[in-house]
Amino acid sequence: MLRRILLSALLLTTTAACGTGGSGGANGTIEYWLWDSAQQPGYQKCADAFEKQNPGLRINISQYNWDDYWSKLTASFIAGTAPDVFTDHLTKFPQFVDLEVLRPLDDLGPTSDIKDSDYQAGLAELWKGKDGKRYGAPKDWDTIAMFYNADALKEAGIDPETLDELTWNPHDGGTFEKTIAHLTIDANGKRGDEPGFDKTKVKRYGLAANGAGGDNWGQTQWSAFTGSVGWQPTDKNPWGTRFNLDDPVLHETLEWYFGLAKKGYMASYEAIGGTNAITADKQIQAGIAAMGLDGSWTISSFTKLTDADGKKLNIGVAPTPIGPKGKRASMFNGLADSITTFSEQPENAAKWVKFLSSEECQNIIGQSGVVFPARPSGTELAIEYNKKERGLDVSAFTDHVKNGTTFPLPVTSNAADISALSKPAFDAVYIGDEPVSSLSKLNDQLNELFEVVG
Amino acid sequence: MATVMAPAPSDASAAGHEPPPKPRPGIGRILAWAFMVLVIFASLFPFYWVLRTALSDNNALYAGSDSLLPVQFSWGGFERVFGLQTGQEAIDAGGSGQPFNFWRYLLNSVLVATMVTAGQVFFSSMAAYAFARLRWRYREQIFAVFLAGLMVPAIFTLLPNFVLIKELGLIDTVLGIALPTMLMTPFAVFFLRQFFLGISREVEEAAMVEGASKVRIFFRIILPMSAAPISTLSILTYITSWNEYFWPLMVSYTDKSRVLTVALGVFKSQKPQAGPDWAGLMAATLVAALPMLLLFFVFARRIVNSIGFSGIK
Amino acid sequence: MATPTKLATTGTPKRPRDDTRLALLFILPALIGFLVFLLWPTLRGIYLSFTKFNLLTPARWTGLDNYVRMVEDPVFWNALGVTVYYVVVNIGIQTILALIIAVLMQRLTRKTWLRGLVLTPYLVSNVVAALIFLWILDYQLGIGNTVLELLGLDRIAFLADSAWVIPTVALINVWRHVGYTALLIFAGLQTIPATVYEAGRVDGASELRLFRSITLPLLRPITAVVLIISVVGSFQVFDTIAIATKGGPVNSSKVLQYYIYEAAFSRFQFGYASAMSVALLIVLTIITFLQYRLTRAGSSDLA
Repeated sequence: MLRRILLSALLLTTTAACGTGGSGGANGTIEYWLWDSAQQPGYQKCADAFEKQNPGLRINISQYNWDDYWSKLTASFIAGTAPDVFTDHLTKFPQFVDLEVLRPLDDLGPTSDIKDSDYQAGLAELWKGKDGKRYGAPKDWDTIAMFYNADALKEAGIDPETLDELTWNPHDGGTFEKTIAHLTIDANGKRGDEPGFDKTKVKRYGLAANGAGGDNWGQTQWSAFTGSVGWQPTDKNPWGTRFNLDDPVLHETLEWYFGLAKKGYMASYEAIGGTNAITADKQIQAGIAAMGLDGSWTISSFTKLTDADGKKLNIGVAPTPIGPKGKRASMFNGLADSITTFSEQPENAAKWVKFLSSEECQNIIGQSGVVFPARPSGTELAIEYNKKERGLDVSAFTDHVKNGTTFPLPVTSNAADISALSKPAFDAVYIGDEPVSSLSKLNDQLNELFEVVG
Repeated sequence: MATVMAPAPSDASAAGHEPPPKPRPGIGRILAWAFMVLVIFASLFPFYWVLRTALSDNNALYAGSDSLLPVQFSWGGFERVFGLQTGQEAIDAGGSGQPFNFWRYLLNSVLVATMVTAGQVFFSSMAAYAFARLRWRYREQIFAVFLAGLMVPAIFTLLPNFVLIKELGLIDTVLGIALPTMLMTPFAVFFLRQFFLGISREVEEAAMVEGASKVRIFFRIILPMSAAPISTLSILTYITSWNEYFWPLMVSYTDKSRVLTVALGVFKSQKPQAGPDWAGLMAATLVAALPMLLLFFVFARRIVNSIGFSGIK
Repeated sequence: MATPTKLATTGTPKRPRDDTRLALLFILPALIGFLVFLLWPTLRGIYLSFTKFNLLTPARWTGLDNYVRMVEDPVFWNALGVTVYYVVVNIGIQTILALIIAVLMQRLTRKTWLRGLVLTPYLVSNVVAALIFLWILDYQLGIGNTVLELLGLDRIAFLADSAWVIPTVALINVWRHVGYTALLIFAGLQTIPATVYEAGRVDGASELRLFRSITLPLLRPITAVVLIISVVGSFQVFDTIAIATKGGPVNSSKVLQYYIYEAAFSRFQFGYASAMSVALLIVLTIITFLQYRLTRAGSSDLA
């Protein structure tokens, strides 16, 4: 015993964390990880179909909640207990490429022929590394739209149809700001656009908030606005190395956006619970917000909301407002499946990834109605599911793709450092501790990351 | 993080000269009782709130946040904990739909806590005896080094220990979770040494004259005489080990070794920007704490009475 | 096993014997545990603090770079300040409250049930305590703020306001630990002979005066021990922060151990994280040294 321990201690000095140990499943069993439990039943169906077509191969799906998923994955890389295949996120994969834990899919037989054109336009390209190799097979995509409580609208005398034509600009906020001001009510029953409105005692905000968005480029917060004025976070995408956070256009837009919280029209940092913010859907459920911008992956959460008596809330979806240049905008993001270098059966893992990205599996996912699959045919099935099962028109999400009003989530190296620096900086602006102009300082810090690390 | 002190050599000696409480009815006494009631209320109210949330319907919680009673009374949270709901039912109720293998996690928790407690207390008491009673070179120096271990921040050892457990092939095993604290903690050695130092030498010397070996003295005299501090230490170690979170989170991967505290994660947010299943989480919290609460009620007198001192004499 | 037995029987009790072989046998398991799971990781951590190490590719020696960066890192100094602030609030309130509870328990009733009830929060883990209070203190939905509103006060963003967050986290941990600390002090009170109080009463001293001139001075060494040991634990606050605030808002609750964790596990900067751990180790060493000095001073006082 002692000898074994001492021996391993010695081993540590030389082989620490090189991942020499066995990993992934035993031969024939492919370990697959995901975080969204709502999607697991769908992927289990895919696994069952895959096992039927590939006798001798088995899929073992493990799910960890989002908070634990990434630290668990990091730990598994160190311990060499990594899964063969895992669900990957656009903001995370460049770091994994740098850490040399992802296997290029082009080098593996089954996945070498994945075609960009099989997927929604612009989606598959995002998953290529700086070396031009593919590190993820697209599984789904998402855009942003506005969820609203139809009863709150009715009570305020707002026709849901008008939401389709809302406009905004950074100067007076346009009809968008007028609408959320009217939807805002203070403790005395005064609306946000009425004289005597008390912004310190708001009972219901017109607009829900999802935090300051510092760790995800404002995806479900302000990206729809900054996007519609044509602002881009980085000099190029993917693999930008210079940042545009000192751009006056951004400062103007964010001044207006975070100003909504100061005016009392949008939930403040405190109101949503700070770092442990309650989400936009829960804000609408709790009656503290009437509308909220959120991603398409939250459709199922929003449509399940009930009031205190268990009655379903009447939830509708409207598109993001039209910007000063006459166009809407939405960030475009998606998930993909990646294969780890720790897999001892990469060819088998590639077979599974190929299947996950195939029409057959993505149609199964589309029919479960949780996300929009990356293939157009799967997307169609998801649209149909929402119409039939939920009575919900989701064109607010899909039109962005149809009309080409999307821009991709910025893909960069050093994402963990960027997020660690940006999150506190944006929080400070949202809270009001720092002016918007402080983001120029953050910009210098981010640029510096790339000068040092290169 | 436990901050217990070395125990009094025996409870009886302390109880011998306790001043009888003087009942003096008066405003001061009423105020004092009022304060104690407040303290007890503050200690216990959160437990009630956990129960109230656990018995609520998760989807309705956000809408009925100011109700003192469960919102839409429902056993759903507990049903999810004991795996009585199907995946789809659980998802509809705002849960994760993950299988929750309660009895397996309970067994793992019991195994880990028992292994850690038995091993740590036994091996630490052996070491403590050597530091307190045996004569050997470098005794004080080695003890000082052991003591210095108290200062090492927990986060410092997390990663190297993790890699070591991996090299030993113990990832995802109950033994892998238990091993780092199974052989000793500086605190346990320190705690028991303090106590052993306080035991009178006469008993030992008498036994030695009768020809008993030191090993025999340790097992037949020292250990039985130290039943009180050893049980205190055991209970505290058990509680600490039962409540451990980050270490088992890193080491366990599957139901094979998952312990209750880690399993609670199933009820936390499943995706970015989504709320937890509060009803399920609170039900699971309660169920996870229940064994500790039961243990506590059974041994309350012993636990409460055995936390004490000897350091000052 | 036979040899030590012989040794023990042949030696006379008064003469110093050498038990080296037996002692080695007795400390062996603990020694292995200490070397393998405590000393070795610590030494390795100190070595890594001089390297650039991303956990996955081999470490690269960079000399004092991490330490230079640490000294220049405002977030590190902020974290140190936040940690000290937390410790002061946490330990201050906890000790005073525990002292009051202990004295009241001694004066009012010695019933076990009372002490049992006060100890109950100690049975739940830090993680669970944090979750419970996250729920109770929620700005919109928490019962805590509902009560404040009923009392006609403004809602307080306990865990989302930079002025409130550290006191709140400190209080959450007081909730869990105060009963335990009170029991320690209670046990200390039992060691004060009743005759001392009786003498005081004969002189006509009031309860308050008895407390001030008898209880407090005689309790000093015990309080010192309790205080200093809980300080070392308090410096390592982590679970509650990780669950309840994640270091926010901005950096107002980013305590040192959380910043270290973040650097190591989400930013892959294990070298820098190790350097900061060494700094924490040094701080804890100083505190432990103080503890040693103070307890010694304390015991000589009583004697």
